Amino acid sequence: MTTLAFAILLMASLAGYALNRRAATGIRDGGARLHSVSNYHGLYALLLMLVPVIVVILIWLVLQGPVVNAMVMSALPAGTMDGLDTGQVDLILAEIRSISGGRIFGKPDPWKLAAAEHLADLRQLAALSLVLLTALLCLAIMCFARQKVTAEFRARQAVERIISGLMIFCSVVAIFTTVGIVTSLAFETYEFLRLVPLSEFLFGLNWEPQIPIRADQIAAAGAFGWIPVILGTIVITLVAIVIAVPIGLLSAIYLFEFAPKRIRAVAKPLLEILAGVPTVVYGFFAILVVAPAIRSFGASMGISVAPNTALAAGSVMGIMLVPFISSFADDALSAVPRAMRDGALALGATRAEMVLNVLFPAAIPGIVGGALLAVSRAIGETMIVVMAAGLMANLTLNPLESVTTVTVQIVTLLIGDTSFDNPKTLAAFALGMMLFLVTLVINIFALRIVRKYREAYD
Amino acid sequence: MDDLRAITRDVDINATKISARRVQVHYGDTHAIKNVDVDIKERTVTAFIGPSGCGKSTFLRCINRMNDTIDICRVQGDIRIDSDDIYDRKVDPVQLRARVGMVFQKPNPFPKSIYDNVAYGPKIHGLARSKADMDEIVERSLRRGAIWDEVKDRLHAPGTGLSGGQQQRLCIARAVATDPEVLLMDEPCSALDPIATAQVEELIDTLREKYTVVIVTHSMQQAARVSQKTAFFHLGSLVEYSDTDEIFTNPKDRRTESYISGRIG
Amino acid sequence: MTDILSGSLPQTTMDKVRGSLARRHRKQFILQALGITAISLAFLMLFILFASLISTGHKAFTLTKIKLEVFIDPEEISVERLPRGNFDDVLATALAADLPSVDPNDRAAMRAVGAILSNGAQFDLRDRVVADSALIGQTINISVPVSDPYDQLYKNLIDRTMPESLRRLDDTQIGYYDKLIEIGAITSSLNTGLLTNADSRFPELAGLRGAIIGSFWALLICFLISFPVGIGAAIYLEEFAPKNKLSDFIEVNINNLAAVPSVVFGLLALAVFIGWFGMPRSAPFVGGMTLALMTMPTIIIATRAALKAVPPSIREAALGLGASKQQVVFGHVVPLAMPGILTGTIIGLAQALGETAPLLLIGMNAFITSAPATPFDSATALPTQIFIWADSPERGFVSRTSAAILVLLTFLIMMNAIAIYLRSKFERKW
Repeated sequence: MTTLAFAILLMASLAGYALNRRAATGIRDGGARLHSVSNYHGLYALLLMLVPVIVVILIWLVLQGPVVNAMVMSALPAGTMDGLDTGQVDLILAEIRSISGGRIFGKPDPWKLAAAEHLADLRQLAALSLVLLTALLCLAIMCFARQKVTAEFRARQAVERIISGLMIFCSVVAIFTTVGIVTSLAFETYEFLRLVPLSEFLFGLNWEPQIPIRADQIAAAGAFGWIPVILGTIVITLVAIVIAVPIGLLSAIYLFEFAPKRIRAVAKPLLEILAGVPTVVYGFFAILVVAPAIRSFGASMGISVAPNTALAAGSVMGIMLVPFISSFADDALSAVPRAMRDGALALGATRAEMVLNVLFPAAIPGIVGGALLAVSRAIGETMIVVMAAGLMANLTLNPLESVTTVTVQIVTLLIGDTSFDNPKTLAAFALGMMLFLVTLVINIFALRIVRKYREAYD
Repeated sequence: MDDLRAITRDVDINATKISARRVQVHYGDTHAIKNVDVDIKERTVTAFIGPSGCGKSTFLRCINRMNDTIDICRVQGDIRIDSDDIYDRKVDPVQLRARVGMVFQKPNPFPKSIYDNVAYGPKIHGLARSKADMDEIVERSLRRGAIWDEVKDRLHAPGTGLSGGQQQRLCIARAVATDPEVLLMDEPCSALDPIATAQVEELIDTLREKYTVVIVTHSMQQAARVSQKTAFFHLGSLVEYSDTDEIFTNPKDRRTESYISGRIG
Repeated sequence: MTDILSGSLPQTTMDKVRGSLARRHRKQFILQALGITAISLAFLMLFILFASLISTGHKAFTLTKIKLEVFIDPEEISVERLPRGNFDDVLATALAADLPSVDPNDRAAMRAVGAILSNGAQFDLRDRVVADSALIGQTINISVPVSDPYDQLYKNLIDRTMPESLRRLDDTQIGYYDKLIEIGAITSSLNTGLLTNADSRFPELAGLRGAIIGSFWALLICFLISFPVGIGAAIYLEEFAPKNKLSDFIEVNINNLAAVPSVVFGLLALAVFIGWFGMPRSAPFVGGMTLALMTMPTIIIATRAALKAVPPSIREAALGLGASKQQVVFGHVVPLAMPGILTGTIIGLAQALGETAPLLLIGMNAFITSAPATPFDSATALPTQIFIWADSPERGFVSRTSAAILVLLTFLIMMNAIAIYLRSKFERKW
């Protein structure tokens, strides 16, 4: 039925286009001078129809589900919902839905069968009204647009105004996204803070979000102090940066200044491949190759190494960041004017001296900006740590131990069944909020450095 | 101008410092320098003039092997400084460039302090044994660059904060700090205003006491004002080379005459 | 400065220069060596990554099968009750015929024999019989997949020298296998099921069909949203937006969005799309919308760069002919910038294809044994399927995971190759 609504809209808008265009051409052939060419008259009808009707259909589709559900639930016999929590209510709704979809398991209660029938009826009704609404709207707009066609009508300006409006809307989507992120995170975090005090979250040294098994656990509902989690994140990020920055920087310097052309022609695309590998692949690489290698190396040295060390996750993340750092360093080095290089070389500097004493200091802001963005990436990186780091929060700085990170906790807390009223789920959003804020501060800072630096040489 | 003439007369007494034979330069497929022979005299200002794209800058950059830094550039032929072949395989361009300083078209001080700019060359080449030594070299170079009085109170201010003319004199001071024998200047005044140009030209004239100066310029007036010998390049060839007053008053070649009287260029 | 001093100075200067040369060149050599080491290290890692994926993954591209002569016993299988026929017993009986050491009445031994075959073998046989019920009562030749441990054994992934208690197959089972090898019943063929089957709990049956279709839907939705919106935003910001606080704010916003961790977008989708709007969990539609929000900044940034690269002379020429600003932009500038825009879009979509974390949060890691028919059905996507398989304890899933990664990387490389081709074909030097 939705497809039918869209089809009607499409046909109607094309018809409106043809109608208006024909009318405008008629006026021109009648000898009058059109203000706008007939094509714009057609486009005017087309856009005037497409834009509002699509909006109406989309809003309808978004609201239809929840509204129909609410109607079904409110029509249930009085008393069936008493004393049930949201999870159980959802379960009943799902059962009613699957019955109305024709998948019946066992012998459902008669009131459920009735509700399923009700649901199917409502859905039918909703779909039908949507089609009718679409057709009516299209017809009304078509008539309106048709009577607009006159020699004086500024169709081009009207069309351009609509297109401008659309483009402004597109640009504002970015703001909507940010607003959406901030409000959703803030809302759930607020809910979380009603259950767990802010001071415990920010300064607590224990993170045990699981449902308590023993009575002597730190807090009856689990412990929600994020310090060990962020500490784990910092350990892994540090390992990654310690590996990525020197390797990335040195390869950038080598490729920029010393490498023969042929090596550069091969190396740059290879680095791009390294940059394009999805992080889930790096995560698998970490558990398949790197972690066992580190463990057996540790064993041969007589050191006991945890199975999912911060070192394994961090070093694989470091490899992931190498192309990122090296491309930023390359940009920064190439932005230094050639005159600087020539000046140093003409004084008799070797190329190494030129790079280290002149290019590198001049490129430092760009490189630092890139490294900061890499830090923010490492903090927000999810799949590698979900697969290769630990699940238990561990208050340690030793990279050979297993630690957990903010992103690991978010994913493990939310994977599987989620209802929005227990502290476990809400804790994930609180962690998400902290993650967003930390990376936002780093990003703004880093982007500012990078941009300022680019302006300095433009 | 009278002073200038007085010195001009004894130019030929000076020995040959740089001698180039059959020099050819290719930029990829472009034949940029064709068979250039020239002898440049010691402690003389030699000007290279010619229309843009004639190869004068390219030839200049052969003398300190700056063309080596461009991948597609090939240099053939024989260039000698004091009879040392500078394109010999055993010659280290790093060492050569300590001996042959260069000043560029646009002033290019490093984004460091004035002091560090001048001290950079002596530092990398290990010319100063102590801090006091370095201070002395810096002061001497800045004096030779005729900029000491203007900057002596702010040696640790950034070199990029100076005016264009000051920056260029700072670059000259930086170039002489390694005590080179030859100083190459690639249109050193083209980015400067007339007053700064006059100051730099005056400086060039005093540099002749110690250094062999080769200057590329697109301004014939400048060539006439500062040089004793002039070489005219056209389409990659050296057309005419002789005493400056000779070239400007009595050119031998028709092309030189056309250029000087403003018909080509 | 006296003449004597200046005469002797160059000499000493050159001596000093010469004295330090060796040390300075050594420094340069060290820097170069460090650079070469760094880049070799990076490429070594790339090599190890691909080598390990290929060496473990290539085994999943073949499927170990067993050839059987099956008597379709009418007592076990009848036309009336076809779907409920005892196909596994029929197969086990046929297999036991090849293994003389097995007593057909020993139920435990028969169970062990049945376990040689994959759980999917009975369905293969059933499909044959359903297609042609005349086969009942006849003896047919059929080739069915073996179960995961025997597949591993065939691919030399089980160490026979290990103590029996630690092995996945005991000596008797290995005995069965050796016997079957001896009579030439075990063969190996190309595993088309890897691409055409949906997910399964049994590694030898698990395939990527559901994941590929799920990824396709998600990517299609992502493209349909992010491409028009991204281009619209980029054109507005680059060509029309007045320079004011608002457009500055939008710009900063977009640059920051491009660097927001992907998992945060997952939280957004979970809270807003699923929590507030009540959209279905695990649906590629929701996944596509989430990916669209992440891809949009990439497309906007690439499109703006492409628009910026069109020289102003083109705009001035068209404006000079009396075209309106929009006519200039849509008629001249955008078509010229299109190759750049498309390149940026494909690269953005390739990133979206590999994105995992936000899809996990909206539940696209469910265990689903059928391919989604519409974008609103529950599904997995390629990267989440990789995550699920990587998490599975069965040994057989290790090579499946690597194989799935190779499939994903193939798609990514294809997309990037298209982008590179577009860039080189239409690249213009102004």
